[in-house]
Amino acid sequence: MEVSTQLRTRIRAGDSSAFAELFDSCARAVYNHAFRLTADWSTAEDVMAATFMEAWRLRDRVDPEGGSLRPWLLGIATNTARNQYRSNRRYRAAASAAAAAELSVPDHAEEVAERVDDRRRLAKALSALASLRRTEREVVALCLGEGLDYEAAAEALGIPVGTVASRLSRARKKLRALTEDEAAAPAVRTTPKNVRGNREAGRPGRQIRGDHAHVVRPVQGGNR
Amino acid sequence: MNTNTSRQNPAEWDEDAQLLSHTARDLPMGRHQFHKERLMARIQQEQRTRTAAAPEKAGRFRLSRPAIVLPAVAAALTGAVIALVAMPAGNGAGGGGVATGPALTTTVGAATTKGVPQLLDRISLAAAETSHPAVKPGQYIYIESRTADTFTKTVGDKTTLASHELHRRQIWNSPDGTEGWLIDPAVNDSPEGETLSLPDEQGNPREAGLNGPSYDYLAKLTTDPDALLAKIYKEEKGHGNSPDQQAFTTIGDLLGESYPPAELYSALFKAAAKIPGVVVVQDAVDAVGRHGVAVARLDETSGEREEWIFDRKTHVFLGERSVQVKENSGEDALIKPGTVTYTSAIMNRAIVDGIKQTPSQAG
Repeated sequence: MEVSTQLRTRIRAGDSSAFAELFDSCARAVYNHAFRLTADWSTAEDVMAATFMEAWRLRDRVDPEGGSLRPWLLGIATNTARNQYRSNRRYRAAASAAAAAELSVPDHAEEVAERVDDRRRLAKALSALASLRRTEREVVALCLGEGLDYEAAAEALGIPVGTVASRLSRARKKLRALTEDEAAAPAVRTTPKNVRGNREAGRPGRQIRGDHAHVVRPVQGGNR
Repeated sequence: MNTNTSRQNPAEWDEDAQLLSHTARDLPMGRHQFHKERLMARIQQEQRTRTAAAPEKAGRFRLSRPAIVLPAVAAALTGAVIALVAMPAGNGAGGGGVATGPALTTTVGAATTKGVPQLLDRISLAAAETSHPAVKPGQYIYIESRTADTFTKTVGDKTTLASHELHRRQIWNSPDGTEGWLIDPAVNDSPEGETLSLPDEQGNPREAGLNGPSYDYLAKLTTDPDALLAKIYKEEKGHGNSPDQQAFTTIGDLLGESYPPAELYSALFKAAAKIPGVVVVQDAVDAVGRHGVAVARLDETSGEREEWIFDRKTHVFLGERSVQVKENSGEDALIKPGTVTYTSAIMNRAIVDGIKQTPSQAG
């Protein structure tokens, strides 16, 4: 908490090294969150970049007290992504195109079955996200995707905690109905233990990474 | 961060979260550093040139391809680029502008499959007869509606039903769909509303489609009901709770907040008549209390029935609503049959000469 408060003070003061730290610790989370809301990796990169520029612009609105700045950043990212798909139909079109693209990549002989399975699971996640309303998807992306608790998600979206809880509950019900529908289809699920070791895929919301190399490694968890 | 929310079932939570586990990856090689350096350059540039211009006035950031971000920033500073990003600070998220109240309820009207083709036929005929002014370049399609919705609200561990009160929604769109403006206090952060004139992720103008139809797009759409329906099924494949429900919803969305040419309007009803499971509800009430007859379809998954409401005599489209007709389970059991989850009445559709201009101002 001490560290968070300090970072908040430095961010408010426009300290550029504080922004560097914030970028290192949160860029990946913002990028992934933006992907869940735009269904496109390249758009997600743009949203991520715009989010930090916007964070710089809005720095003096940061509350001097509080925990991690990640919910605040994810909130900005949510709003930025929202402008990409004001209509849910557009999102669904993008998600379905992205899902189709994942599934239609020709199987290379050297491609291990695991990677094919990954792509199928990504396509499934996109279809699931596309089945939600935008407001539900935002809460799902924050809570299930980035592991925020209700309070942090409420802070990110600027809505009451109760609204987060009710939207999430509704969305999860839909997601589960969807999963049950697909239970009859050939199973693409694997157990969490089965997840590959070379990339983070396990519990979302953790900032501890796998060993996938960055050119420069992010500073870990400085603001949490 | 993750510890103080009580979750009833952590196992289920993990299972749901697992669904999204493959949506996480690192930035492409070198991009983390690239964007970090750009951010740093931007910050240093502003620190060097800090003048009287307060950061508040600096304008918003339009999304653009990385190569053109810096020029866009310069343009933003001159005020030439206004890409609105909703404000996340404080209570800035959408929905703050509308009062909430108790759940909206109605009597669930009896549904029958009898007379569906005849009713849709009459509606289709009435639609074909309506005159429809042509839209000239530079004009805008204006649609005004009254809308409300019901949702579950949890405070502490107590969940209740609440609703956004009935409120006015106004939308303007250019015929090609590239320019627009929306005023809806349940969506906007500020009373002036917000722009819909936003480019796509490539910075190109939006392309219209079934998923985001512009007036021009609708005007070019086939008016052969069979071809139209086939197109809807094909393009919506894989979405929604069932193909038939999705087709019905898609047509419903085209009826609501759009102003299709009479021929297409008529064709949409003929197409709807061919969707299995469509029923007639003899008495339905729109958002502003007008009674009419409804063409409806039950979504078996959600237990909600989507109703398109028409004037009983003139068969003019009044509005649409979603009514819970089946019992829910779990937390959503609160949404009892008879709850109106969403309702929207069309009050005015017009062609106006300017964005944010209403028909009365035009006169």
